[in-house]
Amino acid sequence: MEYIRPQNLKEILHLMKQWKKKATLIAGGTNVIPDLRARAIRPEVLIDISQLKGLSYIKEDKKKIHIGALTTVSELASSKIIQKWAPLLSEAANQLGNPLVRNRATIAGNLADGSPAADTAVPLLALEAIIVIQGGKEKQVPIHQFFVGPNQTVLKRDEMIKEVIVPKCNPNAKTAYFKLGLRNSMAVSVVSIAVLMEMEKTFCKKARIGCGAVAPKPIRAYRIEEMLENHELTERLLRACCETIGKEISPISDIRASKEYRTEMASVLLKRVMKRVTQ
Amino acid sequence: MNEKTELRIIGKPIPRHDAWEKAFGLTCYAADFSLPGMLYGKVLRSNYPSARILSVNTSRAERLKGVKAVLTAKDVPRNESVTRFGQTHVVGGGFEGLYRVLADRKVHFMGEAVALVAAEAEEIAEKALELIRVDYEPLPGIFDPIEAMKPDAPLVQEGRPNIITHYEVVKGDVKMGFSEADIIVENTYRVPFVDHAYLEPESGMAWIDEDGVITIRVSTQVIEHFRGIADVLNLPHNRVRVIGTYVGGGFGGKEDITVEAFLALLTYKTGRPVKLTYTREESILSHSKRHPYVMIYKTGAKKDGRLTALEAKLVSDAGAYVYLSPWVLLYSMVNAAGPYRIPHVKVDGYTVLTNNTFTSANRGFGAPQVCFAYESQMDELARRTGLEPEKIRMMNYLEKGEALATGQILERHVALQETTEKVIEALEERTLPSGQMRIGRGIASGMTSYGRMVFLHDTSRSHVSIEMDGSVTIRAGIQDIGGGQASSLCQITAEILGVPIEDIKIYIADTALTPFAGTTTATRQLYMSGNATLMAALEVRKVLVHKAAGMLGIDPESLDLVDREVIDKEGTGKSLPLKEVVRACASDGVPLYHVALFKAPFRNIAQFERIEGQVFPDFTFGTHGAEVAVDEETGRIQVLKLISSFDVGRAINRLSVEGQIEGGAIYGMGYSLTEEVILNQGITMTPSFSEYLLPTSMDVPDVETILIESGDGVGPFGAKGVGEPSVCSVAPAIANAVFNAIGVRIYDLPLTPEKIVKALKEKKDMG
Amino acid sequence: MKVSKTYPLKLNVNGEWKKAEVTPRETLLHVMRERLSHTEVKEGCGKGDCGACAVLLDGKPVNACLTLALQADGQRVVTLKGIGTPDKPHPLQESFIKKGAIQCGFCSAGMIVTAKGLLDKNPKPSREEIGKAISGNLCRCTGYKKIIEAIEEAALKLRRTKNDRR
Ligand SMILES: Cc1cc2nc3c(=O)[nH]c(=O)nc-3n(C[C@@H](O)[C@@H](O)[C@H](O)COP(=O)(O)OP(=O)(O)OC[C@H]3O[C@@H](n4cnc5c(N)ncnc54)[C@H](O)[C@@H]3O)c2cc1C
Ligand code: FES
Ligand code: FES
Repeated sequence: MEYIRPQNLKEILHLMKQWKKKATLIAGGTNVIPDLRARAIRPEVLIDISQLKGLSYIKEDKKKIHIGALTTVSELASSKIIQKWAPLLSEAANQLGNPLVRNRATIAGNLADGSPAADTAVPLLALEAIIVIQGGKEKQVPIHQFFVGPNQTVLKRDEMIKEVIVPKCNPNAKTAYFKLGLRNSMAVSVVSIAVLMEMEKTFCKKARIGCGAVAPKPIRAYRIEEMLENHELTERLLRACCETIGKEISPISDIRASKEYRTEMASVLLKRVMKRVTQ
Repeated sequence: MNEKTELRIIGKPIPRHDAWEKAFGLTCYAADFSLPGMLYGKVLRSNYPSARILSVNTSRAERLKGVKAVLTAKDVPRNESVTRFGQTHVVGGGFEGLYRVLADRKVHFMGEAVALVAAEAEEIAEKALELIRVDYEPLPGIFDPIEAMKPDAPLVQEGRPNIITHYEVVKGDVKMGFSEADIIVENTYRVPFVDHAYLEPESGMAWIDEDGVITIRVSTQVIEHFRGIADVLNLPHNRVRVIGTYVGGGFGGKEDITVEAFLALLTYKTGRPVKLTYTREESILSHSKRHPYVMIYKTGAKKDGRLTALEAKLVSDAGAYVYLSPWVLLYSMVNAAGPYRIPHVKVDGYTVLTNNTFTSANRGFGAPQVCFAYESQMDELARRTGLEPEKIRMMNYLEKGEALATGQILERHVALQETTEKVIEALEERTLPSGQMRIGRGIASGMTSYGRMVFLHDTSRSHVSIEMDGSVTIRAGIQDIGGGQASSLCQITAEILGVPIEDIKIYIADTALTPFAGTTTATRQLYMSGNATLMAALEVRKVLVHKAAGMLGIDPESLDLVDREVIDKEGTGKSLPLKEVVRACASDGVPLYHVALFKAPFRNIAQFERIEGQVFPDFTFGTHGAEVAVDEETGRIQVLKLISSFDVGRAINRLSVEGQIEGGAIYGMGYSLTEEVILNQGITMTPSFSEYLLPTSMDVPDVETILIESGDGVGPFGAKGVGEPSVCSVAPAIANAVFNAIGVRIYDLPLTPEKIVKALKEKKDMG
Repeated sequence: MKVSKTYPLKLNVNGEWKKAEVTPRETLLHVMRERLSHTEVKEGCGKGDCGACAVLLDGKPVNACLTLALQADGQRVVTLKGIGTPDKPHPLQESFIKKGAIQCGFCSAGMIVTAKGLLDKNPKPSREEIGKAISGNLCRCTGYKKIIEAIEEAALKLRRTKNDRR
């Protein structure tokens, strides 16, 4: 196996083009290294981008936050900009894995890995983030189109994530991220839900809901969003939403939880996030 | 030494000497050691829980450059032997477990060792494993012990029945007992496979020393496996030496042989030093687990709460090999009725082979399983009689002088009334519920033996000597697994010889150089080797005092050893530096050392089928109290308070005792809430610490420890053991607290959120 | 067998520059233990689940098993031995010993390193913050109570000595 440490974006792209399937990009390595150890992947070359400081940043302009691909999950959790403009993302980042892993894990790695339970993906869905993909040319993909299936994304062999653009939350927006795991740290989500709501008193002007670990990929709960948006929020409507969410998800049973439990918990968590944002 | 003499070192919270090295990264654990020219060992393991081995082809692996040995069953001089777990007294009764080093005709569980490799580099050894070709013919396996008990069940081990042993305990007539009962509670309880999850995976290094002795430096609780290892190689026992390292956690999982026999074989065949360390996955796959049990309990009581009868049937899953299963079952049998006065008792116990991972010792050794059942039953009886949970227990606790169902008299203080009172007091005000959180509290009491079963004729030896400069050396073949085993011997010796603890050096765990002290298991080291060391130190003290008396012209009775001096207690101011006394002894040829042998009580068991009389030297009694918050919607449980109260007899080192009790409580909490090795048709579904969930620092409450010191233990200075007892009653205390919170009882550990939600739903459906 | 290509590696370990030739597969943990004799860095799981291998990498606590050695090239690595020595013990080491926070000791290296990372960033952590900071470090022996107490005590001591110097 070979190891290459490109110095800039251009070099990375060139290398990916050159090596295609034989190459694996490595950022924080928190997915790649366990995979190498388990021989779940056997690349011929590792392209190490972890030291490209230029790809690690959190910047803001008037409407958006720009997060560099190599920004670590710890940085997401502690960034003042994110805490202010996308608090549910820092809330989620704070609950990913454990503190040691968070110091290595990057946002792009978490998204590119494409786990259905990815902790940054769920709030980013609710935030309607845009993934900036750099290949031959740069393109912007809305996050809801980014995931394809379990550990599958739209990324092609010679493409990489360069940046994640997050529209700033309306200061009046209410947001929350709830994660249910089997312990309080180092827990993979059994179910996770992120919500962003814009309200005028009890009238819901906008609703965005992301769900993790309940489908082959992180998903938006469009039906629930529709039920809420442009509606007066009533107890009854909320109850109807909690009843409906089961139809929108397709969880599996694994050692952590059964399909039935996940379905029920999606409804419980939805109720809780709604309660928090409507209080 | 005078009883009334004030203790200077015993009972104080003294930092352990080994903590010092560990804090600076100086301790050389098993995997930290290497030798020039060493090879790396690896083990090929079966991918099937039950299969016939049609052929094993190692030729491609052997041809790989850098591979120095590839071994299969045919290369093992004595592949099938029995493991005696370090004891030297042969007892029979199914107590010697068959042990097969490498699978030959069949594999019996997933992860069973099939071949060994030694190579110049770890990568090469791994590659060689991939090149070994084993042809398997998968066979139907049997994975449920209840099914395995049926007469037509397929046999796990050829030529022997699946039921390894059946024991019973009978007292009075349960039929009559139940006819006298006003209330009868009958339930079936299940507990899972549990991993020890010590942070240090199994590891060792072997080499042949310049005399041709096979020397193995290994992380183990039992250096005296050297005999079994020599048997495997067909060598005389004195040709194998085992050196035990400071162990990165044992909890019973390093009580059986782990890497030792593999290492011995590889170094024997190659003549080169060999190192073998398991990965975490290999550790979880291949080492013993705590026994899962199915326990059918029927308990009867009068309206006023007095117990009348208890009947229990226990079935434990031994997995694919016998190992310590009969012993563990025996512990469960003695403990099955709990620390209660019950006129009529009948317990039937079976341990049964299956094609699951084999099971053996795990902290508590059969006691936590039955404690979960009998203490859940007690709680149920409290509810039915309308008595407070502590009241019904206090009414029925055994007291000193009374007998267990086996007839063993409790000759020492039984502190349960006090421990329970203390726990209730410490639980204080109930936390207020909020939102979906329901608060509940529960208690549970337990008894756990310390010291080995008396029919094993347990002994320990310790050597204490004093050097010319007054420094003191202890040599004891104990293994230190993190419980402060070595440092407590230093403390005892420092106390007796009147020297500061820094003046003591202890050498441990070397079968060639330290006197045999037996296993660091069964919470026996402080009791056994503590007593042996105390005896040896007292002998050395006697010599010194006697000499000093002559030198000072004072009656030996009035002398004391304090701060490196021999002083006159009567306050005449007369004294001598210890060094001077030592020198005087040396020049007169008076021995300045003593090897003491401590013997536990020896009793024989007339028959194993029906267990009667004394089985254990003594018991440690204690109570756990828990307060939990249960999320009614998600089923998640958070333990808010966890209180442990134990009669420790005497706390030799308060820090170590508290540490054991706090750690034990959280070990028990893991058992209660998240820990389970899930086997699906014999296949491990929880191969790593991502799936096998230990409590993290964010899951634990601050464990509160309340010590009672009755001084009535059989250990040195009246100490009792706490290492294993500290785990025993945690799970039922938590389960009882959960019941108290939500009115639903869970009969299966662990108490997962999903089980809680399901049970709540069933309750609701039933109205 | 195809031999993996090796690459030169330069690491600053506890203030000293070290060199090694390593393969891309090798983790920082492996190189520390097997090539640089830093066996105080422990392996408990090899995949990020236990924290026994924690080291400070450019000041931040990370899992050495989740970092390729080559990814740490040119960087500063601090292990338990770099935090303090018997001659010059760090308050964390002293308090771990004194408070009984060490039993088998297998988790201690990772715990103390992680705690050092915390105290460098937050000299006055609450108990909750301490609990959270070490929540990627498993300990099977102690139940964490004495570890949290030890970190609290060390933090206090460090604050005091800092104030004294002022
Ligand atoms: C112990 C442990 C616990 C964990 N717990 C959680 C958890 O609770 N929740 C959770 O969501 N995750 C969890 N994870 C996984 C999480 O750490 C990773 O998903 C992490 O975010 C990946 O980032 P990385 O930089 O380490 O990626 P790497 O491992 O370097 O890469 C991951 C994948 O992304 C690709 N990649 C990396 N960067 C880019 C890029 N810029 N463009 C395109 N592709 C790229 C890589 O080729 C690889 O396929 C855990 C991991 C561990 C080890
Ligand atoms: S060995 Fe690195 S986290 Fe366990
Ligand atoms: S002291 Fe043993 S794992 Fe922490």
